[in-house]
Amino acid sequence: MNWRQRAAALLREPLVQFLGAGLLVYVLLSGRAPDLGERRIVVNEAVVGRLAARWSDNYRRPPNPAELDGLINDYVRDQIYYREALRLGLDKDDEVVMRRMRNKMIALATSEAEAATPGDSQLQALIDKDPARYAPETKLTFNQIYLGQDSPEQRLAASRVLGKLQAGEDDRNLGQPIPVPASFSKDPASDVGSVFGDEFVGGLRRAPIGIWSGPIVSGFGLHLVRVTERTSSATPKLVDVRQAVENDWRADARRRAEGDGYKRILSGYDVVIEQPK
Amino acid sequence: MRARLLFTATLLAGTTLIAGCDKVSKSFANASEESVKETAYPERVYWGDTHLHTANSVDAFGFGNRLGPEEALRFARGEEVTSSTGVKAKLAHPLDFLVITDHAEGMGSTMALYNAPRIMINDPTVLRWYDMMHKGPDDSVKAMGEILEARAKGTLPPMFRDPKASAERTHNVWNSYLDTVERYNEPGKFTAFMGFEYTLMQGGNNLHRNVIFRDGKDKVAQIDPLDPTNELTPDKLWDYMDSYQAKTGGKVLAIPHNSNVSNGLMFMMTDGGGKQMTAAWAKRRADHEPVVEVTQIKGDSEAHPFLSPNDEFAAYGKAGWDIGNLMLTEKKKPSMFAGEYVREALKRGLLLEQKLGVNPYKFGMVGSTDSHTSLSTGDENNFFGKHSGVEPSPRRAMLPQSLGSGPARFGWQYLAGGYAGVWAKANTRASIWDAIARREVYGTTGPRMVVRFFGGWDFKGDDLKGDWVKAGYSRGVPMGGNLAQGKNGAPSFIVSALKDPDGANLDRVQIVKGWVDKGGTLHEKIFNVSWSDMDKRKQAGGKLPAVGDTVDMATATYKNSIGAPTLATVWTDPEFDHSVRAFYYVRVLEIPTPSWPAYDAVRYHIKLGPDVIAKAQERAYSSPIWYTPAG
Repeated sequence: MNWRQRAAALLREPLVQFLGAGLLVYVLLSGRAPDLGERRIVVNEAVVGRLAARWSDNYRRPPNPAELDGLINDYVRDQIYYREALRLGLDKDDEVVMRRMRNKMIALATSEAEAATPGDSQLQALIDKDPARYAPETKLTFNQIYLGQDSPEQRLAASRVLGKLQAGEDDRNLGQPIPVPASFSKDPASDVGSVFGDEFVGGLRRAPIGIWSGPIVSGFGLHLVRVTERTSSATPKLVDVRQAVENDWRADARRRAEGDGYKRILSGYDVVIEQPK
Repeated sequence: MRARLLFTATLLAGTTLIAGCDKVSKSFANASEESVKETAYPERVYWGDTHLHTANSVDAFGFGNRLGPEEALRFARGEEVTSSTGVKAKLAHPLDFLVITDHAEGMGSTMALYNAPRIMINDPTVLRWYDMMHKGPDDSVKAMGEILEARAKGTLPPMFRDPKASAERTHNVWNSYLDTVERYNEPGKFTAFMGFEYTLMQGGNNLHRNVIFRDGKDKVAQIDPLDPTNELTPDKLWDYMDSYQAKTGGKVLAIPHNSNVSNGLMFMMTDGGGKQMTAAWAKRRADHEPVVEVTQIKGDSEAHPFLSPNDEFAAYGKAGWDIGNLMLTEKKKPSMFAGEYVREALKRGLLLEQKLGVNPYKFGMVGSTDSHTSLSTGDENNFFGKHSGVEPSPRRAMLPQSLGSGPARFGWQYLAGGYAGVWAKANTRASIWDAIARREVYGTTGPRMVVRFFGGWDFKGDDLKGDWVKAGYSRGVPMGGNLAQGKNGAPSFIVSALKDPDGANLDRVQIVKGWVDKGGTLHEKIFNVSWSDMDKRKQAGGKLPAVGDTVDMATATYKNSIGAPTLATVWTDPEFDHSVRAFYYVRVLEIPTPSWPAYDAVRYHIKLGPDVIAKAQERAYSSPIWYTPAG
């Protein structure tokens, strides 16, 4: 039995219909006392069957007659208290009841959202809304040499070293040892940021192309850099970023369904917020 | 429970539900694992968390977590996520991989209970918990405490113990989780592993393991996670892992954690059941559990001052954790320490190998968070707490925070940490899993320090001037490796450490050596091998002057005016004896920095109690390199 068949079977259950009707009455006539006709509680075979089944579910055996009597008594008691409480309006201004009802309404509105599959046009619309989010990351190709922690003396030294580099000296003989590669090739900016810190990436973005420049600052200190390539971000294509967009669409589906559901109900209400006089 | 949930939905929705669509797209657009090229040797470290809980974990949900695997994955990938308590959360830098490890036992059950219609609950105790959970966060935390205690005492009401309903629910939650993981796994960019936590206990003693699969849904969906209830030893877990591998051709490993609250049971000299250890048992353990989690939110398990009185840094992350077991149902006795700290276990492993010919405790080390918030936060200034009941708030640092009854642990005793560094050849499930399996990993207490460690027989100081990484791999073995007896002299080691680019400078690099002599006595010694300001800080009697302290508690800040951004050296063991078994691992210490309670104190203008430890020297632990004599 799949869930639809199960749902259909459940819908045929008298108890479900009964409770469904009760809920409908509650929702539609909220605040009004139930009719006298509802002061009749019928415990029929279906109700007893369900009570017994639930017991068996919990205790892995059917209830004995005394336990079943207890269950029925409790059922009747629940029903009477529930209806009387509604009659007296005890559900009103009760935060727990309100939160429960609100959660049920949200569950109702969002139950289908998670199973749905987005079409290409919906995904494309998401990309168009925020192309930068899906655009391929800037990729950086550069050489760097490390000159120690940032200090006025090191900055002076840096300018001397920069002069040597610009005069054509081999960069492999200059600088201080540091256990990060001296050259990076087409590495995404976020990876470079993870290695050196984000401030360094900012420096690389501003650096001139093709020549040694700096110093720029990383989480370790001062560096001279030669950026040889910096790809600009291209327009994202759905085929390349489909999974990411679909993930976003799904992650947002619930919130969207909740918002849409609320808007629908809200449109049937007049909300008046009075200003203090 | 699924039928019950459906019942609610039907109750509410009537016929509109029938119109729903249950077709889920199975086409995954991300690049395949195979299309990502491995480098010749590991060129960069990949950062991740091998231990994270979401709302699918029984306790996490009860403690207020409302974020599922999807939010957890988005957060780890660097997205901004709103926490369960409504706070915007984001990592300074994304992680490279994540293993969500929800408790197998009762997976999704607290969420199912919470969402069930009240009339479906008969049991008065369960009904009380149900009402407490719905009342608000504080009562929910209390209810969860009661549930965990009932579990430890074996007094859970029948509906929690129904194996059939539980198996069905677990199966559904598991498969939905696998789908989500598959959608967020992006080979080459971000690796999402499939896994679960096997929460094995003996009473309140922690024997927990995280189980991590190398494979995708096609294989992993062929099995459901294993429930540890009724088990006292890990043998059934290893059977399960074997049968998974036989059935699917896939691969799986397990990572024990929180040995510090096992009350001496995690690394026993006997087998798991207390009987004499056999070579076969030792081999099984080593084969299935190549790595342990050495540091996490619930304390640090590297070393204990009782076992290592000469280690001036062993006290880190011990306060509160060395008073008893996980559930605080049994107090700690000093005789228990040797069975629960990692350094001692590594030493015991040498001794057992000497007797049995197999080392059961030949493991590497990682750090991970064990967060129950779906948020892998290991940074002191961005810590979202052990669980959602202790997300950022003015009172969390001083709050008593124990599982169960007994002497209390306090909020500030929980650590913001840790992370796992993995030297893999690519960012894919296969490459990262393989690196963990060969122990080429290290753990940190949160900072992302880059640590390299190679052992060999001919490394010289001059090697550091050239391409020493290549030299390390071609002429030696990396962390996690084995050194067989060489022809000449003592082994030498290349060690290099680089600070977290966003973090504190380094104080020192140490090599911790452990060995067993011919009489079977265990030894350890810590060598300071590289430190900042070496010309000014002179070593005397094996001890260095302290690096200093720039922490300003009034502002929760520090300055990198002391320490060094990077430290590196080639070190040769001056006391090497080629006839004894030994291991060597690296410990890197940062300069002192404020811990998360210090940031809280400034953020919320609160006063911390006099006993609160609010600054520390954070650290990294490499996996060991072992030396085994010939013959």
